[in-house]
Amino acid sequence: MYPSGVYGSMSWPNPLQVRVVQKEVHMARYMVERNFPDGLAIPITDEGAATCLEVVDRNAEVGVTWIHSYVSEDGKNTFCVYDGPDPESIRRAAERSQLPVENITRVRVLDPYFYK
Amino acid sequence: MPSPAPSDSADEAAGGLLERGSQLSALNDQLAAVIGDGRGRVVFVAGEAGVGKTVLVRRFSRVHRDAVDFLSGACDALFTPRPLGPFHDMAASIGAGFEELIDSGVKPYRIASTLLDRLADRGVTVLIVEDAHWADEATLDVLLLLVRRIEAVPTLMVVTYRDDGLDRAHPLRVLLGGLSSAGSASRIRLPALSATAVARLAKPHGVDPLDLYEKTGGNPFFVTEVLAASDNRIPDTVRDAVLARAAHLSINARTVLEAASVLQPQAELRLLETLAPQTTDHLDECLASGMLRATPGATAFRHELARLAIEESLAPNARRSLHVAALAALSSPPSGAPDVARLAHHAEAAHDADAVLHHAPAAAASAAAAGAHREAAAQYERALRFAGDAGAATRGGLRDRHSYECYVTGHFDAAIESARSALDCHRESNDARSEGNTLSTLSRLLRYVGRPAEAAQAGRAAVTVLEGLDEPGHELAMAYCHLSYLFMSIEDLDGTLAWASKATALAKSLGDLEAEIYAEINIRSLEYLAGNADSVPRLERCLRRAADAGLDEYVGRAYVTLVFWAPRSKAHDAAGRYMEDGLQYCAEHGLDIWRSYLMVSRARSHLDHGHWDQAVESASMIIQDPCTSPVTRVIALAVIGLVRARRGDPECWPPLDEAWRLAEPTGELQRIELVALARAEAAWLEGNPRLVASATEAALALAEQRRAPWIAAGLATWRWRAGLDERFPRDAPPPFAAQVAGDWERAAELWQRLGCPYEAALSLADADDEGALRHALVDLQRLGARPAAGLVARNLRGRGARSFPRGPRPSTLRHAAGLTNREREVLARIAEGLQDREIAELLFVSQRTVGHHVSAILRKLGVSSRKQAAREAARAGLIGEGPASVGERRPS
Repeated sequence: MYPSGVYGSMSWPNPLQVRVVQKEVHMARYMVERNFPDGLAIPITDEGAATCLEVVDRNAEVGVTWIHSYVSEDGKNTFCVYDGPDPESIRRAAERSQLPVENITRVRVLDPYFYK
Repeated sequence: MPSPAPSDSADEAAGGLLERGSQLSALNDQLAAVIGDGRGRVVFVAGEAGVGKTVLVRRFSRVHRDAVDFLSGACDALFTPRPLGPFHDMAASIGAGFEELIDSGVKPYRIASTLLDRLADRGVTVLIVEDAHWADEATLDVLLLLVRRIEAVPTLMVVTYRDDGLDRAHPLRVLLGGLSSAGSASRIRLPALSATAVARLAKPHGVDPLDLYEKTGGNPFFVTEVLAASDNRIPDTVRDAVLARAAHLSINARTVLEAASVLQPQAELRLLETLAPQTTDHLDECLASGMLRATPGATAFRHELARLAIEESLAPNARRSLHVAALAALSSPPSGAPDVARLAHHAEAAHDADAVLHHAPAAAASAAAAGAHREAAAQYERALRFAGDAGAATRGGLRDRHSYECYVTGHFDAAIESARSALDCHRESNDARSEGNTLSTLSRLLRYVGRPAEAAQAGRAAVTVLEGLDEPGHELAMAYCHLSYLFMSIEDLDGTLAWASKATALAKSLGDLEAEIYAEINIRSLEYLAGNADSVPRLERCLRRAADAGLDEYVGRAYVTLVFWAPRSKAHDAAGRYMEDGLQYCAEHGLDIWRSYLMVSRARSHLDHGHWDQAVESASMIIQDPCTSPVTRVIALAVIGLVRARRGDPECWPPLDEAWRLAEPTGELQRIELVALARAEAAWLEGNPRLVASATEAALALAEQRRAPWIAAGLATWRWRAGLDERFPRDAPPPFAAQVAGDWERAAELWQRLGCPYEAALSLADADDEGALRHALVDLQRLGARPAAGLVARNLRGRGARSFPRGPRPSTLRHAAGLTNREREVLARIAEGLQDREIAELLFVSQRTVGHHVSAILRKLGVSSRKQAAREAARAGLIGEGPASVGERRPS
């Protein structure tokens, strides 16, 4: 009786039976390299924290999650780890926060200690 | 993970609703904004089932009901919902014939435009559409049109939907996806309650707050049900919680509750009385318990989850008897026509085959008339499930109509399967006319999905069967047209002409304008492709004739012909004249398939103009649409893959491989051309000549065979760049010819005139001249073409060049079109209509310098004249403000 639809595209999980629903959107991990010729400085203050959260919020609107970043000593290069559905979303997120994009690479984790 | 608990004051502001203060104030802000500037806005409220979307919206209405008008409607959870359900709900409040308009079966665009007219005449209005995840297709179409134009009316639209389990192909996602760029739309997501909030709710009931939080996940509906059952035990599922709560009712009240559970979207009191004895006495108990709520003349479950739990708990026989009673009662309503969608629903649940076969096709026809094709297909399927004992003619008719609805909704395999079944039925009942008709349809479907040999076979069989009729008519004329179209698709002039002239002769003798115009458009398409200048005015004439005769489908076809082939020869300017009109026409007349042909042509035009963001955006919209045509899907995939390759972004091959897999077996150059060019380019950028060879061989032969010089020369250029062969088509169009002759400067200029900055830069990149290479490098960097820029840089380094630009700084990249401040100044003067000499005087520079700036501006904007530059500047908002400032740097 639940409107399950005739086609696969319309199938609905029955919420009475399913409590936790897995999102079906495919997510990949990306390393995004950015250059800041004038250097990047985020003060460890409320203001800096707010700036970061703004970026996080804007990313969420295009389905992208900023995991964390590595910043070079001089603050001119950053290596940012992102989750997102595709490279276009990564660029869209960058555009929204007015961030430069030098290079996007799809990556996965290699853990050296996994090999015992 | 619990979210941080908001302050008590926020809950106060939400009128006691826990943790909904920020969402409520977001709604208030949007309403204030609409009241402030009179421009409409849309808010989407999303969250899982039972999270409190309706509660939030009701609270919002209660606060503002006295100040502004509210219109509201809900989509219902029927297996096949009533078409336009929410607009029926609000029709009475809109008044003045709106209900009659909906009932008359007009297209969604008429409903949307009428509603917008009414909204424009009213004061500030809040228009609420609930449960959009259940919306029928016609409702979604109306919503999309409303949202696109909402800014024109003083209305706040609030659309709620469940986002758990909303899979990628769900039609609502397409709607939401199309809104990512709309400034008037915003979203609110309702999270589950935090542990703190659950504890506050649990406290008065003496329930273990942590246990409650863990079992319910903070879902407010679940929490409420558990607490309402108040027996200190926390059930494992929502269903158990609902049933535990119902168990507290008296046996008579439970009977009422059970009867109400089979009635959707609401239980009219009249119906309830026939289904449950002494309803009125016991309904109050249900209302008092809070499981049901009163609506005008009816009652409804407080939440769909509760209704579902109760209905599922009924014993099969009891449930069936209730549906039998509901079917009987609904068949003879006290006034007006019966609601066929509800009848079909009860007929199936009552296992009444005759009733299903009676009501489901009627419901399907009314859904299809309203543009709700998904629902129509589902109703035909419902009828077919019960048609086992029906005659072959009935089954054949149902299969044909089902096939059509599947085709319209993009389920081509199902459409083909149904057409084949229909064929068997028509043969069984010796109905040659229907058999021929279905064969012709099948032929079109098979071509569409890329099975050309089978398509031709079915098309010829259709003609044979229909020619054998005593009185050949419209069906035969159309079968000739389809065959002609089949040959047009593979650009076979002789075949196209042969079948089109048969169609024309028959159509004229029958006075059949549809077949006549269809046949003519097929011929004109090939004339257009052959570069015949007369084809455009002739197509315009077809367009006008079709429009005068109300043949919408063929107006769309004519627009597509005038636009779709243009990217092949980079004739974007000429096609642009028809693009916007065509898109508007197709949107308004529900011609979604033709609209996607126009959209994909626009994506190609953006791609060629160097506007890669827009190209990807248009292409993504096409791919996300589950009903998209296989033809446009292939091209859109190629656009996305090619942009990734040009930018050096990862994952360019998956879309290019998929596109090739889909395009290759069709033998249609229209599907193959862009993906072959894109794969060759991607292979070249990767420095893989063998891949360039394999990507181009078959396509180059095909392009030469089809006499498509632009495509052949394009493919040959990649082979030439990859050092594969020097063979080059003799009839190569001017930019390619100049390129191969070594006149790279001329080639670049020709590309520039065609508005193709990337191609122009690549022409310079082939030069044997350091100045030209530097020029190419700068242009490629500005376009964001990292891999090509890298190749040029390597070439320069190999020549011993020392310092060259490492790429524009983010500030100039961020700039629209990457104009320098000086160039923007010059552009502003151009837009004012000044000549170079005047600009030179004004800016205290030489006329020659101004000339350099102007060339740079034209190049960067990808336009060929100063007039176009001015127009582009106005469109993109490049002028009318001071020099660009570098935005504050933010971390990543």
